[in-house]
Amino acid sequence: MEATLTPAEMARRQAAARRTAWALGAAALALYLIGFLIQR
Amino acid sequence: MSIATTHPAEHHGEHHPSGILRWLTTTNHKDIGTMYLTFALIMFFVGGIMILAVRAELFSPGLQLMKPEFFNQLIGVHALVMIFAALMPAATGFANWQLPLMIGAPDMALPRLNNWGFWLLPPAAILLTLPFTLALFGIGDGAIATGWTFYAPLSVQGGIGVDFAIFAVHILGVSSIMGSINIIVTIFNLRAPGMTMMKLPLFAWGWLITAFLLIATIPVLAGAVTMLLTDRHFGTHFFDAAGGGDPILFQHLFWFFGHPEVYILLLPVWGLMPHVLSTFSRKPTYGYKAQVYSFIAIGVLSVIVWAHHFFTVGMPVPALIYFMFSTMSISLPLAVLFFCWVATMWRGAMSFETPMLFAQGFIVLFGMAGLTGLVLADVAADAQYHHSYFVVAHFHYALFAGGIMGVMTGVYYWLPKWTGHMYSETLGKWHFWLTVVSFNLTFIPQFFLGLAGMPRRIPDYALQFSEFNAISTVGAFILGLSQLLFAYNIWRCVKGGPKAEGRVWEGAEGLEWELPSPPPHHSWETQPVVK
Amino acid sequence: MKVFARHLRRLPPWLLALPAICRADYSWNFPEPVTPIARDTLKIHNEFMLIITALFVVVFAIMIYSMVKHRKSIGHQPAKFTGPKGGLQWFWAIFPFGILLFIDFILMGIPAVHAIIDMEDTKTKADMVLKVTGMQWKWQYEYPDSGVKFISTMSTPREQIGNAEQKGEHYLLEVDNPVVLPVGKKVRVLLTSTDVIHTWWVPQFGVKRDAIPGFLRETWVKIEKPGIYRGQCAELCGKDHGFMPVVVHAVPETEYLAWLDKKKTESAAAAGAADRTWSKDELIAHGKPVYEKNCAVCHQADGKGIPNAFPALSGSKLCNSEWLSKDGKLIPDSHVDRVMNGKANTAMQAFKGTLSDTDIAAVITYERNSFGNTMGDMIQPAQIKALR
Repeated sequence: MEATLTPAEMARRQAAARRTAWALGAAALALYLIGFLIQR
Repeated sequence: MSIATTHPAEHHGEHHPSGILRWLTTTNHKDIGTMYLTFALIMFFVGGIMILAVRAELFSPGLQLMKPEFFNQLIGVHALVMIFAALMPAATGFANWQLPLMIGAPDMALPRLNNWGFWLLPPAAILLTLPFTLALFGIGDGAIATGWTFYAPLSVQGGIGVDFAIFAVHILGVSSIMGSINIIVTIFNLRAPGMTMMKLPLFAWGWLITAFLLIATIPVLAGAVTMLLTDRHFGTHFFDAAGGGDPILFQHLFWFFGHPEVYILLLPVWGLMPHVLSTFSRKPTYGYKAQVYSFIAIGVLSVIVWAHHFFTVGMPVPALIYFMFSTMSISLPLAVLFFCWVATMWRGAMSFETPMLFAQGFIVLFGMAGLTGLVLADVAADAQYHHSYFVVAHFHYALFAGGIMGVMTGVYYWLPKWTGHMYSETLGKWHFWLTVVSFNLTFIPQFFLGLAGMPRRIPDYALQFSEFNAISTVGAFILGLSQLLFAYNIWRCVKGGPKAEGRVWEGAEGLEWELPSPPPHHSWETQPVVK
Repeated sequence: MKVFARHLRRLPPWLLALPAICRADYSWNFPEPVTPIARDTLKIHNEFMLIITALFVVVFAIMIYSMVKHRKSIGHQPAKFTGPKGGLQWFWAIFPFGILLFIDFILMGIPAVHAIIDMEDTKTKADMVLKVTGMQWKWQYEYPDSGVKFISTMSTPREQIGNAEQKGEHYLLEVDNPVVLPVGKKVRVLLTSTDVIHTWWVPQFGVKRDAIPGFLRETWVKIEKPGIYRGQCAELCGKDHGFMPVVVHAVPETEYLAWLDKKKTESAAAAGAADRTWSKDELIAHGKPVYEKNCAVCHQADGKGIPNAFPALSGSKLCNSEWLSKDGKLIPDSHVDRVMNGKANTAMQAFKGTLSDTDIAAVITYERNSFGNTMGDMIQPAQIKALR
């Protein structure tokens, strides 16, 4: 096992983190908007 | 401050601003954690002063100090401040400080988002409390006076205080979502090599579930208060029967957020407890997997029980029965947690430093919260408890003995790690005993007031409620004053004190204890390897 | 150590020697139940409280034992186990879980389901109907079968609340017109509201139900014992939420019927009064107490209101302008329109459903001729009747 994470590995993890972050943010926004779009 | 001091030479020529600019622009998880915790402590006192004014009014029957309108403002803003500006920021402060240290990461995954998440809080706090000041100058009639639950149609009727509160809640919600996103992606992506999910410290697990709950439910709250805003000013009728709407829709939306919210407030504390208990029992945590599954179960269950907050609203019998049983089922994973806490201590070698005292006080008093919660879930009896002081007592056992004392546990446990100094153990013990005794003095009478028939949210009461109200007020003042000991102890510790080692506590296990106290600027410059 | 929490239930006596105006009268449980539902509720509550007390004591006895025996200072060596090993340990782990499951879903759950079904059964064998309307900040009661309708307002004088006078025995729990109900009859209670959500609660009945504007909710009571039963509004409804009590007189059926008859006669007389012509002085004299009971709470006794919260009537445009157009139609947002129909999204409720023609005509006339207003005009009850 690697003793430390290489800069490349760190960069890969950060990119993955950013992608997930945007997805979660979009999910939150979608939940907020859904209420206004559902008609009775 | 001695927390995370920086030397340019240690940072390969990077320049770090000092003074106010440092705090405004920092992206360091330790600095941001410190800001969250400082903000939370200040707001804790702000919310506390408000409720002491309320308890002073309630000391005896009759209106002595304030008009009912003002009383209604104080109780609602007290709750909003304590929940959104004290408890949640404190828990977020813990997450910021501890998560990177515990998982072997140099910082949170999104450091700039972290900074924004914090700096949304002071403006939100100002928005919440500004209407009080504006009213003094004849603008508007004060802060929100509907209670923290904002029920329509009362909130549709209210003055500008409601609008300020709506905006504050939106901003607080955005801040929470930002923090939650950061926590989730940090835990998923920045764990040190060898740290699988089932080796993740329980504090991180607690916050992981919390973060998902926040992302799922804050948008619903935001939607509800936006609909309230449009009903108030833009001609919609979401909550107005005459326009084809339904006031109860607001209650459903609010409590769909509101119930998970209480677990949002408690899960970080439940995640902290095993660490403290294990450390001071010098024994490994009991039932790690059981606790993880319990956190997940509680998180899932918390979203399907919300209507127990309004059983008297007149809902169909099948709904009453369903919500009663689903609510009671939460007692099962919660019982697992209690079992694991006690089993961690069992046959250990305990010592009783302040963090351990608070942890054990938490278990007993939060146990009372859980048990009275079970009773409240019983629809057949709830008609008598609902909106009475019995409920007020129950949720203060949950949120003060559970939430706040949990935060105090964490502060005493981790303050030496953050500052590099030991706090005063004598002051800590005094703080603990004064808090526990006066807390019970304040709230046990309130259980009996509720049983005797005293409703909530009233500024004046019938004569038979006098004794217990007076006792409760005395307890509240002692409780409030005791917290000054806490603030003083913290301040003293930050300034200096006996040196704290990396492994502050003899029985402490976990990556954070392998770093010096205080940890270096970039926490883990070299990732540890977890076996 | 943690026994402290339990010992606090026996409070030291000196704590009770507090302000002289307190009454030495405190209780530890629900007040005496007088309906089948209240008795059921009390029984379930007592059982459940006993169970949770037992659970608390057992668990914390174990914890305290551990804190005493398993401590470093007496040299106890820490064990290393992290989970159950072997059948017996698994049994001790699952057993509490099983007990709780049994308590929740069987022991307390099944009786609860029966009680709920009973509580919600408002229609079976109901003998009469009482309609309760919540409003800021009083209750209106209606006996639909008899056409009797009246408003019940708190009668505790403001001087007592402001500590200028000694407080009476039923401080904050007394009204001018209590509800009267017959003992031993099942009363179906319908609830609604004219403005915001209120909650009707009488602890001795074991009944608490929300009154929601625009909707009709139901509950029922069958009072077993004559007496006077007091309760309060239990949903925050604005500034006087704590000042709108519920008082019910439960009497034998013959007394109830006699009272109902008397009320019917009174309301017939009041309705008749609407048909005659009133002088301006008569209207103003009649309107003043109506104002004090229904309007002064917000608009204040001097008509000056509260800035930014409740508008002043003194010198207001509304009270000093016309309310009827040239062709005999009600002007929108005029004085009469406002009193009869309220103002949407505010605390100004529509009084047309709660005040009589005479009361409305009188209070409007009073307002237009008081607080410095000098419109000089008056309005007849018959005119209000025609506008309905």
